[in-house]
This record gives sequence, C-alpha cells and structure tokens, in this order.
Amino acid sequence: MSAAIETRDLTLRVNGETVGPLPVPVGTSLLDFLHEWLGLTGSRMGCGQGICHACTVMVEEEAGPREMRSCITGAHWFEGRSVRTVEGHAHTAPDGSLVLSPVQTAFIENFAFQCGYCTPGFVTGASVLVERLKRTPVRRDEVERVVTEALDPHICRCTGYVRYHQAVRDLVLATPGLTTA
Amino acid sequence: MPTLPRSLPAKRLGGALVASALVGAALVASGVLERSAVSREVEAPLTQEAMRALAPRGAKVAAAADCFACHTARGGAPYAGGLPLETPFGTIYATNITPSAEGIGGYSRADFHRALRDGIAPGGRHLYPAMPYTSYRGLSPDDVDALYAYMMSRPPVAVANRANTLTFPFDQRWTLAGWNILNLPAQVVTPDPKQSDLWNRGQYVADALGHCGECHTPRNALQAMRSDAALQGAVIEGVEAPDITPAGLRRMGFDPHSLTRFMAKGLSAQGGATHQMFDVVHYSTQHMDEADLTALSAYLFDRDALPAEPERPAAPAPVAVPQAVAMRASASYDGLCAGCHGHAGEGIPHVSVPLRSNALMRVSGASGLIRATLHGLPAQRFPDNERMEAMPGFATLLDDAALADLATWMRAQWGGQDKAVTPDEVARLRAGHRADASN
Ligand code: FES
Ligand code: FES
Repeated sequence: MSAAIETRDLTLRVNGETVGPLPVPVGTSLLDFLHEWLGLTGSRMGCGQGICHACTVMVEEEAGPREMRSCITGAHWFEGRSVRTVEGHAHTAPDGSLVLSPVQTAFIENFAFQCGYCTPGFVTGASVLVERLKRTPVRRDEVERVVTEALDPHICRCTGYVRYHQAVRDLVLATPGLTTA
Repeated sequence: MPTLPRSLPAKRLGGALVASALVGAALVASGVLERSAVSREVEAPLTQEAMRALAPRGAKVAAAADCFACHTARGGAPYAGGLPLETPFGTIYATNITPSAEGIGGYSRADFHRALRDGIAPGGRHLYPAMPYTSYRGLSPDDVDALYAYMMSRPPVAVANRANTLTFPFDQRWTLAGWNILNLPAQVVTPDPKQSDLWNRGQYVADALGHCGECHTPRNALQAMRSDAALQGAVIEGVEAPDITPAGLRRMGFDPHSLTRFMAKGLSAQGGATHQMFDVVHYSTQHMDEADLTALSAYLFDRDALPAEPERPAAPAPVAVPQAVAMRASASYDGLCAGCHGHAGEGIPHVSVPLRSNALMRVSGASGLIRATLHGLPAQRFPDNERMEAMPGFATLLDDAALADLATWMRAQWGGQDKAVTPDEVARLRAGHRADASN
C-alpha cells in the first residue's frame, strides 16, 4: 500500500540555463531538487531547519538578487524563477581556465574557510551583498555594519568568522562603485 | 456614573477626562470619594526581622504579579525601570522600583501599600493606570507586605526615571483623581462562599496578582477595563490578547489541564506564547507554584476543580474556500511554510510550532497570524531547555493579496473561520509595523 505522491511539472532557470519541465513531487525542497534531480551538490544541507544558512542560493530578480534558504523552501516556489547556486559563480575564460568570482577569490586569498562546509552559503551571502552595493553603495564607514549584517545569519563551526569578515570587507572597500566618499 | 460611547477621539476623551476630573477633584477636596483600600494598620513599620522573613515569599508575589517585565528595560538593570509603554496618548515609561533614592528607597510600608492599591505615590502624586493598581487593589495586605520586603531587599540602582511624553490633558496627573472615582472599585473583591477554595484562589491569582484583565479585558472610552466584558479579549499595542473566557479558551483548543501546562511552559499544541504573552510566561508564570497555576486554570474555566482526565475540545470543522484561493494559498504554503511547519501543519518539535492546532487559526481576529507571517518572530527560549527557532518574515515575498489568501485558507481549514482575510487588512498591518521590542 502506498500513498499517492502528487507530482507537478517544474520549470525554472538554474545558473543561467533553463531546466525542465521535470516532474517533481510537490513537497520537494529546492535543496533536494538541486541535489537529486540536477546533481548540483554544492549547496549544503547543514541543519535543514532554516538556521545555519549553509544551503542558501541566490534568487535573481529585477530589483537585484536575494538570498533564500533552499532547505526550507519548496522547489515549486521557484517555478518560472531564476536561481544561482555556488556552482554558478565562477565562469570559464576563452582559454578554458576557470575564473573564480571576486568573492570566491577573496575567500581563497584570505584563507577564509577551513573545512568549507559553510562556504557555499557565505559565497551566496557575500555575493548578494556585493550586488546590492553595486546598485546602492554605502558610505565607507558603514561597510563594517553591512558586512556584519550580511554574514551574521551564516553559521561556521571552524573559522571564528574573522577572515570571512575581513575578506568581504576588504573586497567591498577595494572595489570601485561599492562605496561612496 | 456617566456612560460614554466607545472609541471617542482623543480630543473629546481629553475633555471628558478633564470634566470627570473636575467633578472628581471637587469631591476629593470634600474628602468624599477617593477611598483608600489601605488600612491604618500598615502605618506601623515592619521590623528588620519581619522584613527578612517576608522577603522570600515576596519574591513569589513579585513573580506572580510580573513586576519585572514592565519595570525592567530590555538590557537594563533589574527593576530599574525605563521600559516604554505606548498608549494612544503618548509614551509612559515604567519607573525605577529598586530601593534607591531614584526609586522607592524612601517609601514607607504604608507608602508602598498606597501606591499598589490606591495608585497614589508619596506626596499625593497619582500613578497612571498603566501601573495596574486597579487590579492590585485586590491584593491582600500580607502579600503587599511580602512584596515590600522583597523589593526593599533588591540591590538599589541609581537610575533616574524617564519623563513621560503624554499630550495635554493626559499629562495632568491630578485628572486621575476623577478617573479613579469612576474606575477604581471602592470595594475589594472578597472570596465567593459559593465557589471552591481553588476557584477563589484562582480568582485572586487571575484578577489581582496576575492582572490578566489588564490585557485581556477590553477597555471603555476612559481606558478603564469593561466589567461587562471581562476577559473577552482586547488589542494591546496592535496585538490581539485573545478571549480567555471559558468559551474563548475552548475555542483556542485549551482544556483546564493544557492551559495549566501552557502557563508553566509557554508551549502547547495551540502554539507558543508570543509578544507580551511570551514575557508573561518568561518572567512570571513559569516561576509560579503549580498550585496557583491550577487555581488560575480552574477559575478561568469556571470550575470547582480540574477534571480528573484531560478534555479534548473538538477541532473546528474546516470551512471551504473558493478553489482559486485554495490553489494560490497552497502554492504559497508548500513553497514557503511547509519546510518548517510541515505539509499538514504539524510543526517540528523544538523548531517550529504546529499550525493546524494553533490558536492563531482559531481566534476571531487574523492580525496575530498576519503579523507573524509578515514580520516573523524571534527565536525563543522556553522552560526546560525548550526552544523555538526564529521565524523569518515574508513581507517581501508575499504581497497583500497572496498573504490574504494564505491566511484565509489556513484559518478556514484549521480554524474553521469563514471570514476571509482582506488584502486591506494585510496592507494596514504591513504599514503599521513597529519593531517588536518584546522578545
Ligand atoms: S541547511 Fe538550510 S539553513 Fe541550515
Ligand atoms: S569552514 Fe568549516 S564550517 Fe565553516
């Protein structure tokens, strides 16, 4: 005896490419969908309860990207929407080499992470902040505060956060256009 | 006694207040009406020894009367005051009640009794009824003595009181003499011989000590509790304090046993205590004796004793909603809510409350549900190392129409509520949001 699982077709954009329509059970989380249907295992399952933010993805909207927790948000919520996972931040150069995003580069250069489990979430959170600052820059003396606010929800068990924080702060201060005066 | 139409505009209410005050003041001047509930016996000071002996019991009284929640600013020193209370007429700041020069260090035993039970501080200064002296009037002199002994044993804190920002004429304290004549009961409630001891103790705990009515009883035009609608529910700082009459409690799904437990633990199948009720459980009821919580429950359910077995009030019958509403709502629910609250609204232990048995679905107003969905709730710590995780707000993900559909659908299927939530109601709560200062 088995209960019928209601399945619905899902179509969305992931890392710039259209995916679907794929039959997906209605209760599936976006995180499971990324892992099990698309093989994109970079977004991490930490708590599964919306607390650690290891699972966050960028949701690309006209007003700029927002960060959402893929563990507690249903895959079908993203019908017709566009998401960017940690796999979609770097790009391939014409010579075939992989070019990391500025946030990813800053994390590497600052030795920001240790085990790396939390890193996809931090990449997402920091990238959403950088995109927001491109649209609405802040004063240099506000950088400390906005970086803290952006990274605060993310839990990391290894690093003590200092180098993550430093990496994002230095990147924001060094990138023209993200700050005013 | 004049009866006034409800919801008078503040200006006319001000006029009424001054008028009633002038009448009252004249009567006070002639010594007729502003009667004290305090007997002359308390003029005699308590000995140091008596004070020491009474203080531990006073700590219990302080917990049950929940002095801490109002008289302590968030992050401030215990009992040193400063917590703002928003009223329709301006902000009142709770005062320092530590035994310092800025606080109540100079209060005699009799001064303390008069402040608590008559609403009059030394020098004849009238307290605002934000201090629930209309309820505390019913406190027993023994409990007031114990409380006095306890408060005087607290560390004195030298923090000056903040000035209230009330508009005229509400800044005129003398007008309260008139208010008191109209609204302060001359007679103190005495035990009802027709009721059980448990019921009578419960009445004392609910009406005097716990001052439940100060939030749960609607107020009249003069901001006094309406005795004709006792405990039938009211709106406090934009949040609904539900109907806690027996019928109201049953509608939320409580029975006498589960209510006792809820008051002790802050959590039940009906959801978690939020907003000011969270503070009530956090600072007050979780520290109360089981016997008093049992009495409270017996009184609120109007029973002589708690039933031998828990009673399970039937869940409300679901109400159908238009199919288009259900489709939009269930898409929102599956996408944004089910991840934590479960596909059938069952919740996750220690993480998120159940929704299908939640009181917010069953109470008459939808504002509590809308507010939580729009603005989220902070993580909360409950007794016994229990906790609920923070709920994110969905204000930027759900527009007014989508949230109205969602609330309508949830309340219809789980709360049996047939009244649709309108996008206008959502819009009002979206606009009127103040950061929740309470927990
Ligand atoms: S896994 Fe999603 S927030 Fe922790
Ligand atoms: S680097 Fe290990 S959890 Fe953050």
